Amino acid sequence: MATTPVSEKVVRVSVNGTTYEYEVPTRRLLVHFLRDDLALTGTHIGCDTGSCGACTVHLNGVPVKSCAVLAVQADGAAVTTVEGLGDEELTPLQQSFSDHHALQCGYCTPGMLMSAAALLDENPSPSEEDVKVALQGNICRCTGYWNIVEAVVAAGKGVA
Amino acid sequence: MLLREVSYARPSTVEEAVSLLTEHDGARALAGGQTLVNVMKQRAASPDVLVDLADLDDLRPITVSGTTLEIGAMATLASITRSSEVEVSRPILAATAATVADVQVRNRGTLGGNICVNDPTNHFPPLLVALGASMTIRSASGERVVTAEEFFVGVFETAVGEGDLLTRISIPAAGKGTGDGMAGVTLGAHGTYVANAAASVVDGTWRIALGCVGAVPHRATAVESALDGTDVDEAAVRSAVEGLGDTLDPPADVHASAEYRRSLAETSTVRAVLQAAEKARG
Amino acid sequence: MTTTETETTTTPTIQKGYVGQNVPRKEDRRLVQGQGTFFDDVKRHGMGYVHFLRSPYAHARIASIDVSAALELPGVYGTLTGDEVAILTDPFFQIAAEPGANVRDYALAVGKVRYLGEAVVAVVAETRELARDASELVMVDYEPLDVVVDARKALEHDAPVLHEECGGNVSYSGVWEWGDVDKAFAEADHVVKISELHFDRFNSTPLETNGALVEYNRGTGQWTLICNNQFPGFAAIMMAPALRVGTNKLRMITQDIGGAFGNKITTHPQLVALCLLARKLGRAVQWTEWRTDFHQSMSHGNERWFLDTEVAVMADGTMTAFRTKALDDAGAYLRYEPLGGVIWSQVAPGMYGWRNLRLDFTQVMTNKAPCSPNRGYSRMQQLWFTERIVDVVAHELGFDRVELRKKNYVQPEQMPYETPNGCVYDSGDYPRALDVVLDLIGYDTVEERRKDAASRGKLLGFGIGSTLDSGTNNFGQSQLLNPELQFSGNNEVATAKLDFFGEIVVTLGTVPQGQGHETTASQIAADILGCDVDIIEVRAGHDDYWNSHAGFSGTYASQFAVTGLGAVKGAVEDLAHQMRTLASMVFQCSVDDIELAEGFARMKENHEAALPFMALGAIPNMNNAGFPIDPPPMNARFVFRPQFDVPDKEKKFGNLTLTYSMQIHACIVEVDPETGVYEIVDYAAVDDCGVRVNPKIVEGQVMGATAQAIGAAMFEVFAYDDDGNLLTPNFYDYHVPHTLDMPPLKTAAIESPSPFTSLGTKGMGEGGGGGIHCVSAALQDALMTSGRAIVTSSHNPYHRVWEMIRHPERSREKVEVVSK
Repeated sequence: MATTPVSEKVVRVSVNGTTYEYEVPTRRLLVHFLRDDLALTGTHIGCDTGSCGACTVHLNGVPVKSCAVLAVQADGAAVTTVEGLGDEELTPLQQSFSDHHALQCGYCTPGMLMSAAALLDENPSPSEEDVKVALQGNICRCTGYWNIVEAVVAAGKGVA
Repeated sequence: MLLREVSYARPSTVEEAVSLLTEHDGARALAGGQTLVNVMKQRAASPDVLVDLADLDDLRPITVSGTTLEIGAMATLASITRSSEVEVSRPILAATAATVADVQVRNRGTLGGNICVNDPTNHFPPLLVALGASMTIRSASGERVVTAEEFFVGVFETAVGEGDLLTRISIPAAGKGTGDGMAGVTLGAHGTYVANAAASVVDGTWRIALGCVGAVPHRATAVESALDGTDVDEAAVRSAVEGLGDTLDPPADVHASAEYRRSLAETSTVRAVLQAAEKARG
Repeated sequence: MTTTETETTTTPTIQKGYVGQNVPRKEDRRLVQGQGTFFDDVKRHGMGYVHFLRSPYAHARIASIDVSAALELPGVYGTLTGDEVAILTDPFFQIAAEPGANVRDYALAVGKVRYLGEAVVAVVAETRELARDASELVMVDYEPLDVVVDARKALEHDAPVLHEECGGNVSYSGVWEWGDVDKAFAEADHVVKISELHFDRFNSTPLETNGALVEYNRGTGQWTLICNNQFPGFAAIMMAPALRVGTNKLRMITQDIGGAFGNKITTHPQLVALCLLARKLGRAVQWTEWRTDFHQSMSHGNERWFLDTEVAVMADGTMTAFRTKALDDAGAYLRYEPLGGVIWSQVAPGMYGWRNLRLDFTQVMTNKAPCSPNRGYSRMQQLWFTERIVDVVAHELGFDRVELRKKNYVQPEQMPYETPNGCVYDSGDYPRALDVVLDLIGYDTVEERRKDAASRGKLLGFGIGSTLDSGTNNFGQSQLLNPELQFSGNNEVATAKLDFFGEIVVTLGTVPQGQGHETTASQIAADILGCDVDIIEVRAGHDDYWNSHAGFSGTYASQFAVTGLGAVKGAVEDLAHQMRTLASMVFQCSVDDIELAEGFARMKENHEAALPFMALGAIPNMNNAGFPIDPPPMNARFVFRPQFDVPDKEKKFGNLTLTYSMQIHACIVEVDPETGVYEIVDYAAVDDCGVRVNPKIVEGQVMGATAQAIGAAMFEVFAYDDDGNLLTPNFYDYHVPHTLDMPPLKTAAIESPSPFTSLGTKGMGEGGGGGIHCVSAALQDALMTSGRAIVTSSHNPYHRVWEMIRHPERSREKVEVVSK
């Protein structure tokens, strides 16, 4: 028997290790759910065509653009946002960003960190080219990317 | 940036999915969402019902069956880039998937979703036509298989109609004497195509398909005939391709005039053919 | 990936402690944790979300608006239309004199829409989605009018007119002429003529769009705007008279801003709409601009034609004069314009020693998004122009591009150099900087690389882009456009206090968007106070309630290192003097016997007699009895004012900017002659901004400017069709560079301190578009062997390069050389 389509649904999703149960309109984007409903405002919105990557989070461990995912699609899933990367202490990756001046306005930074963290999980010592490919979906208008790539490579080499 | 109201269902089997797509007018399948969600954000399309295919595990696998590479419609572009089956059977699919957009898009975007959009600037429609792929479509009345040419029907339109669900894309595995190539010009690295061409040679027989010049991939049949069975060198290819642009009626837009697109179509064809010829030589 | 080298040309004028060090940024900690506060992060209970319904037509009369269906939707709180705005507000102040002065500009379209994307109706609802839904129920009846999108057509007598009250589409025109231009041309050995050059329309697309959360306090009539406007002084001057209130009723608050680059200055129309809505609906209202709306409606960079250009050149390569007609396309409204009509003159001769110049400047309005400042505002266009004509002169007359520049550059021994229109270039060694960048990019290997590229079927080109970044405006230049204006000079404000328990707190009037103000300000403060940089708190962002701002406060126009840091220096020196005075009262000695060092105020001769900052802070705040004279309050406010006179309006002569940073960029491109596709394969940039307070931050600005210039050169343009539709309304078609698009980069820095600033610093940050200039030059060089096209546009996407290769005659038609 087919499921009946609904326009509101309770989603059960683990975000940064905490499980939330929340009723959402099925049309709500994951990024708005995170920012507005869960008040996790570290994930940002920079465009309306899924082009900029400022909204990047981990969905079941892989980086995705949360503006191109409906909140209901995350039902039953685990999400990590920038707020879940570290705690009081900066992670080596975050420290490397600061050491290498890989952020200016900081708006693209959460998305960059999420993409970079996913890369380092899979490839602990990436080359410059590996890093560029991993960050290709994250737009920055302030830095020109050079320092960002340097910061991620350095974090990989453990010389953050 | 904000969707209109929409109803949503997440079936657990292909049968349920087909049922939902059949029962509800204006229902659309939601695969990776990398195109559909963005289109819905623009409110350029607003289906009444979204049928989320995420739980249909049957549509994910990539397998080799005899001499055919079978890619489930819900296989993500990321999984295609990592698949050893693809690498062994038809590596150009993985190489092409790796240039689509970015990691985030490839983690969600599926091959099925990509080709069901039939965006003239997409990578896979011309490539699958050149490879002689076929598509399996399931509906309430059963299953049918169509060729790639039959699949791409018109402006953002495919053979997948109301109540239909694409389940599988089948590509012949590459044997000896097979070579594939794809060339074009994109808007920035890994960007959308402004012009492209895909070429495939199997034992001296050519299939060449152009994207970006019309609503559906364009088979360059005259070029194919000129090259079939011949020794392919650059001079011969250029000679065969000359005049191809004049037979096309490509659109003009902010990125290319019609004249420029015609020229790029020719250059992309030459390069794709030379790539394929070199691969075929081993 | 990058290497940095530094040369210092003269002894710096300031003792370096923290200043000059790459002190880690204070801002970073919160930003890498996602704990920044950007305006959209702030919520208020019961707030309404605003969606602006925008015009789908580039030019149309508004016949009727019906909001009734929208108001019936549950969850909709209210709407606002142009009719209400016209009753409740006065039109925005216009900077222009006649005819531009007659433009009537309001917070929403009144009677007519003049560009696609113009806001017509505001809808407010309980959720973002509902506001969007409700806007689709608003019925607007338009009567389309003819559209004009080409500035040249806008001048024709039968062109559609945007603002009937102006009598035509011209907003400003004026002739700018100095020296003896006719004589120079009569005596020239060669005259190089270029009929048409075009600087294309683009902007910096900061990743965060515009927006605000606005609240209205009924009891006090006070509005609070939590927003990301980068020039609150300007916004207040625009908004307050429109709202018929004093500027004291507008409190602008910003904290973290996701980039601005000049594109967050002219948001006052939307902010006024939000103010009206907050008051009307009795609740806080919030608006976040969509990316598409930003592209279609906000702050395009000036698009400018340079027509009928002529350059006078002597046989030995000395360039003596140029004349040109600049036609500037301001879009549909004048929001900061026509200031672009004078600001270019800060760099009228570019980096060159021309003494005879004539530029006929005309600005017109067209049915496109309004222009307003974009990184490099109006100077970038002029500098691209001067670099282009120098390159074309070299190209046509066979001069070496490096030697021609060195010969014609303003020379270091001429510094400080007064230009023909009275601007003063403060310091710099341009020929030496050129040598540095040539060395960095390996200029002596270019010909070898060219041969290698040719063997791979590619055309290699090498180009130079020299540019200036003039900083710290004299706003008196506005009077050269409109003598009635009462604006002149410049200012910035800072406060510094020593608080109850010894906390050092600094506030600024500036509005940082990534430039690291908290960090550099604390470096200055720590050096003066002799303490650790970590104990200095510089409050994040801007808040009018801090009372540390003045009319020109904001972060724009490459001035922070002079104005902002000048204000900080003044305030902290004042505080330091207060601290030493208080210590001298306690120790009963002379103020001169006290020094601030190692976190103490202590006697120079006896370090045991020392007061920690906490002790000093406690006295005036909590423990002030027993002093015959008032103990200083440990609180200082300083207004930095650069020394300027009002320029001579008759001669259009005077000092318009305090400092001139300089950048020289060089690049190597490889062009695929079959497709026009090209790649930048090598890139180098040298920057001289005087004393660098934080070299890493400076380098970051150079890099960012480079990336944006590369984007503008290769990919980014706001292109319109004849109906006024923007063809690049979002990041899908308006491609900005991503990581894989970036070339390798080498940078170097030179420090030529400014003799005019208290710290020897010069403002920098905008950059001046050096990347656009050098890519234009490199492409022209690459095509030397393939038709010798001249590059006449600033924006050179693949299709334009292909056309230059296929049809070089189309560009060659534009150039002519007349020789004696």
